[in-house]
Amino acid sequence: MKVSRRTSLFLLAGVAVVLASILLFLYVNSKSDQTVSYTESRDLIRQIKQQNSQWENEVLKARVALIHNYDPLVSPLSEMTRLWQNFDSMASQHRRNDSPTWRATRDAYLSAMKEKTRLVEQFKSHNAVLRNSLAFLPTAEDDIQAQLAQLTDADKQQLQNIAIDTYDLLLTSLEFAQVTSAEHAADILVGLNKLQVNKERLPQAFHEPIDVLSNHISLILREQPLVNSLLEQIEMVQVSERLDDITNLLNRDQQAAEIVDQRYHFYLLLFSALLVLLLIWLAVRLIRSFAQINQMNRALVAVNDELEQRVEERTRQLKDTQSELLDSARQAGMAEIATNVLHNVGNVLNSVNISAELVTRKLRNSKAQGLGKAMQLINQHPEDLGQFLSEDEKGKLLPGYLNQLVQAIDLEQQGMAEELTQLSKSVDHIKDIVSTQQSYAGASRLLEPLSISELLEDALRMNSGALTRHHVKVLKVYGDIPRIMGDKHRLLLILINLISNAKYAMSDLSNNQRNMTLTTSIVDGETLQISVRDEGEGITPENMARIFVHGFTTRKEGHGFGLHSCALAAIEMSGHLNAYSDGPGTGALFVLQIPLKIAEGES
Amino acid sequence: MTSLASLLCASLLLAAVAEAAPLEGPLKSLPPVPALDGRRVELGRQLFNDPRLSVNNSLSCASCHRLEHGGADDKPLSLGFDGKPVAVNTPSVFNASLNFRQFWDGRAETLEEQVHLVVQSSSEMGSDWTTVVQRIGADPAYGSAFAEAYPDAVTQANIRSALADYERTLLSSNSRFDRYLAGDTAMLTLEEKYGYQRFQDYGCIACHQGVNIGGNMYQKFGVLGDYFKARGNPTVADLGRFNITGDEDDRHVFKVPSLRNVAVTAPYFHDASEPTLEGAVAIMFKYQLGRIPTKEDTALIVLFLKTLTGEWQGKPL
Repeated sequence: MKVSRRTSLFLLAGVAVVLASILLFLYVNSKSDQTVSYTESRDLIRQIKQQNSQWENEVLKARVALIHNYDPLVSPLSEMTRLWQNFDSMASQHRRNDSPTWRATRDAYLSAMKEKTRLVEQFKSHNAVLRNSLAFLPTAEDDIQAQLAQLTDADKQQLQNIAIDTYDLLLTSLEFAQVTSAEHAADILVGLNKLQVNKERLPQAFHEPIDVLSNHISLILREQPLVNSLLEQIEMVQVSERLDDITNLLNRDQQAAEIVDQRYHFYLLLFSALLVLLLIWLAVRLIRSFAQINQMNRALVAVNDELEQRVEERTRQLKDTQSELLDSARQAGMAEIATNVLHNVGNVLNSVNISAELVTRKLRNSKAQGLGKAMQLINQHPEDLGQFLSEDEKGKLLPGYLNQLVQAIDLEQQGMAEELTQLSKSVDHIKDIVSTQQSYAGASRLLEPLSISELLEDALRMNSGALTRHHVKVLKVYGDIPRIMGDKHRLLLILINLISNAKYAMSDLSNNQRNMTLTTSIVDGETLQISVRDEGEGITPENMARIFVHGFTTRKEGHGFGLHSCALAAIEMSGHLNAYSDGPGTGALFVLQIPLKIAEGES
Repeated sequence: MTSLASLLCASLLLAAVAEAAPLEGPLKSLPPVPALDGRRVELGRQLFNDPRLSVNNSLSCASCHRLEHGGADDKPLSLGFDGKPVAVNTPSVFNASLNFRQFWDGRAETLEEQVHLVVQSSSEMGSDWTTVVQRIGADPAYGSAFAEAYPDAVTQANIRSALADYERTLLSSNSRFDRYLAGDTAMLTLEEKYGYQRFQDYGCIACHQGVNIGGNMYQKFGVLGDYFKARGNPTVADLGRFNITGDEDDRHVFKVPSLRNVAVTAPYFHDASEPTLEGAVAIMFKYQLGRIPTKEDTALIVLFLKTLTGEWQGKPL
């Protein structure tokens, strides 16, 4: 079945589109930017974990009063928030929030972070005041001890007890800061009660410092367990673990994605192999068709060469034929010319013959024989010649006879001289014909000064025999044309042919009116026009088109060379030859036009 | 010999440099102004001064955060769009970006959120974002400027971002104390240096430390004494973070305010109850530190606090 070109194109395009989309689909699925985002996500989680550790580290540093600046406890949190926002936007881009497990893990982390933030903030507040009071304790105690030392009038023993109690309270409080036990707490409470009791025993000036000290110790007693418990709680908040959960989830997702990736990679590989096979197959097909095309090309080239050879051969044959034809045509032309010449010569010879015969006849019947008879009579009378001439009957007649004879011979001689003049004239004519023919036969193309009317006369003379035989009356309408520079031979060739054709054209006319009109004129001052008009058979319109074609003729004995060579000759002279006819029986007009070149010395 | 001499010179120079190095301590110097998109900052500046952010076109951010008044209001309690006083004293907008939370009760984590809450607050600007975005978007000048600075032109988020970016540039740099911290120790007088010493010794730095000299933690107002009982007239605002969290531990807990420019942002505390710096220091001693300072120490600390006043656009605040 033959599929149309259009349909097959559509089919091909369709197959290409399908293959390309499969390839694209597999590529997109196998590539999946999940790996990139996975690495980035894991990195973000790792960074959050780092910040979390740093945060805890800073908390511990604050706990042991290594720093007095809480900015480091703020910056990890803001950094973690920033990192989490990055991570979260990346996660939501990957539609992780669609998974309930993911949402649960995410919410667990966020609530852990919220709790931890709350605890750390509380820790900051409480730890700050706790550290402050702890730092102040020795000073507060010193204030009291210094004041106690200034008391001189009181009971030494009691003062010492108070000092020891106060000092013990300080130590217990400081110990409590290190080991926060219920035992120590109880000790502190006892110490604080003692301090209150002691305060009552001391002067008014002591009340304020003691209140300050006891306030701060109360604060330590209150805040230290709180800070400790906050630290424990902070430790309990499993931010790190929640982050690990997220990492695990990421790992799981990534593993799943990798499995899918691998599957698609495998598909892609398979598909690529398929495509490669297809390509190879296509390449093989292509190479094969290429070879076929080559082969056909070679065959074509061979055929072409052969054809060319044949064409060449044919051309050569044609050329040969043409040259043969040309040769034959030339021979035929020459034969015609020769015939023409011989014909003319023959015609003239006829007159020569007649003249010779006339002279012969006249000589045969010459009166000169009478002179012989008269001489015989005279010779019979050698002695009595005078007597004979005067007395004899016959002798008396002799002088009169001689006189008559002289007259007759004179007449005879006159007639023979006339006849001989005619003869020599005819011989001259033959000479003329031959010399004209000789000059025509030459191939000279030299321009020479010419008289058109003389040329026409020459042409007419060369046809004169035939013209006379066919009783053609030549009408000459010659314009006033100065001598021109022209190619005599070509012009003669054309004129002889045209006159000859005109004569032939009128050979079948029944009536005796056979008129041929020769006209010469100058057109527009620059063209010489010579026309030959006959009143003969004319030219049919279909023949008109082919009349100058080589080999065309309407005559049985014609060879179709004459008009063709005339037209060629006209063109060679930068002129042209045209034929006009109104149709059969209306006669024909041949017009030769050549550029007018007036000979030097003419006006 | 020459090389030895030059080495000596170099080491001397190095020593000189070491002397000028920043001073370590609980207080940190102000960071440089961050490099932000100038178009956004300029938009933020325009918005900051634009009353179209309030529902009745009566208040701009600058109405209460007056840059010529230390970035705060000259009134104890600023007046809202309806002419009624708001619940707490207006904190300075200067260095607000260095605070770990915004507002006295720390209810906003970011400046963007702070903008959001103020614009929508029924006692402050009383507006809503649909109205604000519509008003700003209708202004062709804003329209083109926003389109240039943000891919999605005028949106709620972009208005907040521009305002926040502008506020991030509002740092009161070049205070005498910052120059002192940078190593120029001659910037503080001997008394002021003593003041700094007292400030540390008395434990003010327990809360007022770090880069913003405060503003990085919450603290209960009245650690060593009941301030509110002594003051009387308890208000809802006095509950502080309790109003946000509902946690009993957060009762009377406030964000520790920054002490930068404290000398020019009177009156003091969330309730604007204390008009003088000396009084404020005294209240802090009594209720936060639980200590009795000498008059001389209080004066020294006040002298020190006055060195914390920075500059804005080359002029001292």
